[in-house]
Amino acid sequence: MNRVWTGIRANVSTFLRTPLNVVLALLLPIVVIEGWGQAMAGLPSMPTVEAIPIELGRLLGAIFGVAIIAGLMGLAQMISARAADRRLVQTGYPPRTLLATRLAALGGVTVVVAAVNYGVLWLTISPGAPVLTFVFLVLAGLVYAFLGALVGALLPRLFEGSLVVVFLAMMDAFLSGDSPLAADVPEFVEYFPLYHPKELLQEAMFQGTYTTGDLGFVAGYLLVLLVLVTAVFGVTMRTSGGWSA
Amino acid sequence: MSRTTTAFTIGIKEQARNYVLVALLVVLPVSFITLAFAVTQDVEMPVRTLVDGETVTVMRGMPEVHGVIMTPITSALIAGLAGLFLMREAKDTDGRLAVAGYRARQVITARFGVLAAITLIVTGVSVGVMLVDFQPEHLWWFVAAMLVVSVTYGLIGMLVGAVFDRLAGMWLMLILPMLDIGLFQDPLFIQSEPEWWMKLLPGYWPVRVMVDTGLTTDVDTTLSLVWATGYLLLVAVLTIGVYYRITQEK
Repeated sequence: MNRVWTGIRANVSTFLRTPLNVVLALLLPIVVIEGWGQAMAGLPSMPTVEAIPIELGRLLGAIFGVAIIAGLMGLAQMISARAADRRLVQTGYPPRTLLATRLAALGGVTVVVAAVNYGVLWLTISPGAPVLTFVFLVLAGLVYAFLGALVGALLPRLFEGSLVVVFLAMMDAFLSGDSPLAADVPEFVEYFPLYHPKELLQEAMFQGTYTTGDLGFVAGYLLVLLVLVTAVFGVTMRTSGGWSA
Repeated sequence: MSRTTTAFTIGIKEQARNYVLVALLVVLPVSFITLAFAVTQDVEMPVRTLVDGETVTVMRGMPEVHGVIMTPITSALIAGLAGLFLMREAKDTDGRLAVAGYRARQVITARFGVLAAITLIVTGVSVGVMLVDFQPEHLWWFVAAMLVVSVTYGLIGMLVGAVFDRLAGMWLMLILPMLDIGLFQDPLFIQSEPEWWMKLLPGYWPVRVMVDTGLTTDVDTTLSLVWATGYLLLVAVLTIGVYYRITQEK
């Protein structure tokens, strides 16, 4: 248990040691939520194009903000520590414990990022179900944090990883976000990472309820991602016992 | 072979050796831009642009307008991230090149050359994919503005890489082009005179040119392209200055 706590503390303090990261994690949500809300509210209403109320624009900004901050954090967390992780595994640190510390730290920071986003949202909109809204925002962040971690475990460098996460998030925000610009959205959009968290959040925010099916889907999504990250991480950390790995 | 050419060739080989990166530079613009065209509603939307020197509202198909925005956003995002990571690599290694006898301008020219090559590829692929669904009224003006905005974002990525670490840099280089080009310069969302601060963003002048030359038959934004190029030069001077300092610090 000591190892786990030491690992989590080390991971969190690595993040906190860079004050600019902390400042940006606090400031970017304000910029994204307000920017998204104000810009989207400018879309004119046309016969088949529905105008977007500013509140919905802000909500979509919050989901995208949480997802992208957490997703890139997950990616950076896995790739920048890969060499160090290998050495830790060679010195006897079990890969699963190591991964658990990484994901726990990631989860903790994601909760804080979601709290900041929630705070910004709360200043301008009163949510129908405040606790649920916060929880669903955390879930949206966790999905992308784990997805970022998976991409980070699979790809060799941050440049390629960031391209994958960034473009996935952009497509996801466009297709899952009920964009009035889109029509004929393919059915597979339902499997995009933000689709169900967005449904949950929108319902909790504006109606104060949630659909169990959406929640189950998100829980399943998280579980699948967790299994995949664990498997890929295990493979990449496999050592033959020598110093060459 | 001169030192600059050697450094440039090594830089290009280093990127080209990475097949995942090469594949992504092609696959991402193709999938993103194609998808954007495929799912956008085919309806006419009001667009504010210049016609005969006057700002007027014209009706244009939403897929075309969306294409005018999604194409530059794709290349700006990739160029920005490329600039960011090139600068981060430079911070780690280029000081050593200086110690080995390289002049700062040789290293800078080589690094900028690699960024220019990546930007050209991404711009070429993005415009090529766009042409499948949409042909701008004045293709070469459109391409010129695309290049200006992409290179500008590539250099901004370098500046961000000089100041911020990788994580913060990635956040900024996603959110800045996304908000700038994707929301604040998108004529679908901004239907009135843009706020003063929107005009200070890197995408303002080039996107103005793209909307005009992409969607109207006359070219009314020559001056905007001049301003966009001026903006690019300003960012380039800043980046060179920052690069010089970083290389000398090592």
